[in-house]
Amino acid sequence: MTETEQAQALLNYLSSNVLRRPGIKLTADSSLVASGLIDSFALVDVLTKLEEVSEMRIPAGKVRPKDMDTVNLMLAMAKRVGKPRQQK
Amino acid sequence: MITVISYCLFALLVMGATMVKRRVPRQLMLLAASYLFYSTWGLAFLAILVSSSLFNFFYGEFLKRGPSLGRLAGGVAANVLLMAFFKGTHLAIFVNSHAMDVLRGIAMPLGISFWTFQALSYLFDIYRQEELDPTPVEFCLYMAFWPTVVMGPICRLGNMLPQFREVRVVSSENVLIGSKRILMGLVMKLGISQILAVGLVAGTGVSAAFDQQSVPYGGLDVWFLAIGYGLQLFFDFAGYSHIVIGAARLFGFELAENFNSPFIASTPSEFWTRWHMTLTSWIRDYVFVPMATLRRDVWWRYAALLFSMTLFGLWHGAKATFILWGVYEGALLVIHRLVQQFRRNRSVNLPVPLDGALSWLVTFLAVSLGWIFFRSRDLGQAMNMLGSTLSPGSYLHPVLPASYFFLVSAVFIAYIAHKTILAPTLARLKEAMTPAASQRLAEFGLTGQFVTVVSLIPLIFVLFLSILHNGSESVTPFVYALF
Repeated sequence: MTETEQAQALLNYLSSNVLRRPGIKLTADSSLVASGLIDSFALVDVLTKLEEVSEMRIPAGKVRPKDMDTVNLMLAMAKRVGKPRQQK
Repeated sequence: MITVISYCLFALLVMGATMVKRRVPRQLMLLAASYLFYSTWGLAFLAILVSSSLFNFFYGEFLKRGPSLGRLAGGVAANVLLMAFFKGTHLAIFVNSHAMDVLRGIAMPLGISFWTFQALSYLFDIYRQEELDPTPVEFCLYMAFWPTVVMGPICRLGNMLPQFREVRVVSSENVLIGSKRILMGLVMKLGISQILAVGLVAGTGVSAAFDQQSVPYGGLDVWFLAIGYGLQLFFDFAGYSHIVIGAARLFGFELAENFNSPFIASTPSEFWTRWHMTLTSWIRDYVFVPMATLRRDVWWRYAALLFSMTLFGLWHGAKATFILWGVYEGALLVIHRLVQQFRRNRSVNLPVPLDGALSWLVTFLAVSLGWIFFRSRDLGQAMNMLGSTLSPGSYLHPVLPASYFFLVSAVFIAYIAHKTILAPTLARLKEAMTPAASQRLAEFGLTGQFVTVVSLIPLIFVLFLSILHNGSESVTPFVYALF
């Protein structure tokens, strides 16, 4: 997947599964945590999805909620701290 | 006499620091002022704060050279042990021996829970390889900064460092905003929180109801005590937060907010993003998220929620009632998740206004009931009071005076009316103001600053009335000074 496709996959997932308030138009730079659109419990779901679309394993303890605030920040974090997943 | 001299010197140093352009002398002046301020509670406390600051600074340097989990654990353990020694010995629960009696006599350094959590966040951030490069003076200032050292807000070094490095401006705007926040805080503390604690007639408020209970309470009494204490605690701690945020703002510093209208939250998870926000975000960033992401199973996430909220309760003190309060709040969050999941799976949808109102009411009542654990003298009192809420017959025989029910109802209705009607209306009016209309008003002298100054008048009036009402009654100490 290209980075744009990864961002789109995350945006689709957020809109249909996570957002607290329906009908909100999201972009890759929309603030999610700071604006209260998603809560900390949902962060873990989003992280799982991020690992799936980026094909990276993101180590626990290295995740800063501020890096999860927008889709672009999430993808940047996956690149920075993620480790390629082992193929089964 | 020494205290008066200390405070005068403190004021001179803080004001002097605003005029010094060079960074290091300015920071040294702020640090000296902060240490002078803290030393008024005792030099021994100051020695502990300085030792902790230096230890954490040098441990941070050690961690930077090799940010491993083992090294992080060492630093966390040292801080937790220091805090546990003072908090655990201060409020020991389970052990009841002569040795514990001796340890209980040891006083707890003021604000230890707040500045230790600031030190821990620094170590966690270093482990996560954040780019933080404080000098020893800057780190000591971060730990001891005078507005926050006693009861928070719990700051993050990343937010404070740029403010310590730049010259802060004492502008008329900062002075106005700061003064308004201080006045609001004083009204919340000396006016509303104090009257809830003491009662309309002295001895009929929340404090006496919990501390001098002589007869069993009925169900209605317990609900009103829970709501009354929640309001008292909110006005006390949010009032304090306004005062320190305002005091820092006078000198150009901007601190993190601690409260955001918590009682209008319509879910328990929303409540915890609005109450004591600097602590809840700390727990989220450094406990819940790292723990919850260790495994992807949903049950693990629930366990992480329960653990985080229990830790949140324990932070307030090693006391069974605080721990149970944390467990209760964690259970509420888990139940909320399960209900949400159930409703999503079964497509249970109510009309939006009914859904919103019901959700708010259930959240408010459930969170309020938890305050019984938080405030009770001991577990026995908490259990007896909670038992009354389950006894329908007891609702027919309230024992609290009518003035108490009136007071809590009045404060509650005024709070909700302010948050849902007055504040949104004022915000809409402000938004509707066009630049041309603002200019026209300014021609008559009605500038934004003028409006801010005028808005201080009712605050000063209410504060004056509060002081008159309190009369010779001593003001109850800030609740969070105990933690």
